Amino acid sequence: MSSDPDKLVAKADKLTKLTLTRWSADWRNATLNYEQAANAYRVAKKYEKAKDAFEKASKGQEMLTSPWDAAKHMESAAALAKELGNWNDVADLYRRASELYVECGRAQPASDALGKAARAVEDHLPDVAVQLYTDACSLLEEDDKDQMAFDLYRALTAVHIKLEKYTDAAAALLRLGLAADKCNASNSQFKAYLSAIIVYLYANDVKAAEKCYNDCSQIPAFLGSDQGRCGSRLISAYSEGNVEEIKRVAQSSTITHLDHAVSSFTLLFLPRLLAECSFLPSADKCTIASPHSDGLV
Amino acid sequence: MSVIDLITRVDSICRKFDKYDVDKQAELNVSGDDAFARLYAVVEAELDSTIEKAESVASAKNRAAVVAINAEIRRTKARLLDEIPKLQRLAMKKVRGLSREELEARSDLVSALKDRIASVPDGTTTAAQPSSNGGASASTGIKFNSNYDGSFDSDYFQNTEETDRFRQEYEMRKMKQSAQDEGLDVIAEGLDTLKDMAHDMNEELERQVPLVDEIDEKVDKASSDLRNTNVRLKDTVNQLRSSRNFCIDIILLCLVLGIAAYLYNVLK
Repeated sequence: MSSDPDKLVAKADKLTKLTLTRWSADWRNATLNYEQAANAYRVAKKYEKAKDAFEKASKGQEMLTSPWDAAKHMESAAALAKELGNWNDVADLYRRASELYVECGRAQPASDALGKAARAVEDHLPDVAVQLYTDACSLLEEDDKDQMAFDLYRALTAVHIKLEKYTDAAAALLRLGLAADKCNASNSQFKAYLSAIIVYLYANDVKAAEKCYNDCSQIPAFLGSDQGRCGSRLISAYSEGNVEEIKRVAQSSTITHLDHAVSSFTLLFLPRLLAECSFLPSADKCTIASPHSDGLV
Repeated sequence: MSVIDLITRVDSICRKFDKYDVDKQAELNVSGDDAFARLYAVVEAELDSTIEKAESVASAKNRAAVVAINAEIRRTKARLLDEIPKLQRLAMKKVRGLSREELEARSDLVSALKDRIASVPDGTTTAAQPSSNGGASASTGIKFNSNYDGSFDSDYFQNTEETDRFRQEYEMRKMKQSAQDEGLDVIAEGLDTLKDMAHDMNEELERQVPLVDEIDEKVDKASSDLRNTNVRLKDTVNQLRSSRNFCIDIILLCLVLGIAAYLYNVLK
């Protein structure tokens, strides 16, 4: 068996093409050849060809009714596409891999694949990344593995915050809270609620923040927890326009223990926003047109 | 007796004895020309309902309901306190058919009403305490020295020596306490961080528990499969190497050698 990957691919192609002399494709040998060729290409750093070879190998495994191996090959192909920078390809290949994993009945690797995809494309195709994260989370939730979803939700929030879609970010945080509630992970739940309140305040939406706080206070444990008290102090300080109090609350340990994306807000931007706010005649109705014009995340 | 009869009878009895109904008489009186009496009755009725609500707070289980009721009580109190000045002005006015003593009594009534309104419990005093539990920085509780200084200086001049000594000791203690306070603050920060980390570790461990259980099951299954396979292999190997087959092999070999020797002898 020659080790030249081109020859291997050619041979495998011949094995799979149906002609007069060959009435059924020999997928087993073909897949073997494709795999060897793909590995050889990868070592030789010929990523484009390696990706194609992996895709063909994956198809071969599918024909051999082994979706697990097929999914694994798809993932390798997607990783190579990432090296190449074909972001659309990356997303598609990972999606295909995730579907194959679901065929095997394994939700965890499926959502892992989608998570990897989202992480790879979040810089370049943030909307696609949002969709991928959401799908990954729903896969896990259907399978009752909510705890694995926490990290995905946090990453989703970070993407939304970068896109400045604050209501979406807050919604994602509230879903995190819901998932945490199902697993009785109260610490994560309360931190998620506090982060949601902060995101609303950052979006200058005091009413929504208050509403959020009141909704979350329905859960008695939240009301009496550190995070709940912190949230109420923050809201009252914000509606009074008290910059000092906000700075003090922002430096308290409760806020610094939150997710980095959210806690950095409170430290840097809220006091500055409030300083801009207090120059307006009605300090309690801070509706600034473009608060994010200077210095950004 | 049917229900209708009962009702008509009760109605007629009520009408007959209406003049003994104190509340109703008060109402009839009020609907007269006396503006003060009218307003006073209205304010008093509202005050009574507010007091009822304040009492219901104690029995309310739902925290949100408590908060809502307290807020409403506060609003009503503010409104009633606004009406008091109006009431006072009306109390001063002379109304015909009213003696002078009654006029004076009216202003007393007004001030008594004001005190009653202010004393309705509305949850403001209790709400402040839970919020100032965290961080010594929000020190709303420990401010008792400001009034004290004033009263010392003005009233107790003869005991200046003693008070000076007390004052010195107090200052010393205050300084030491501030150092202690800082130390305690640092400790509190550290403890907060520890608590957060511990919570996260707890959640992580809880996350790992079902995974480890799955691994446990799979490993158990794998090991039992292995044991079965081993046993079957042992049986097969034993069968292959059983002594009976061995002896048969040796005898047949000897036979073949014997036949070969015989043929060799014959052909020689």
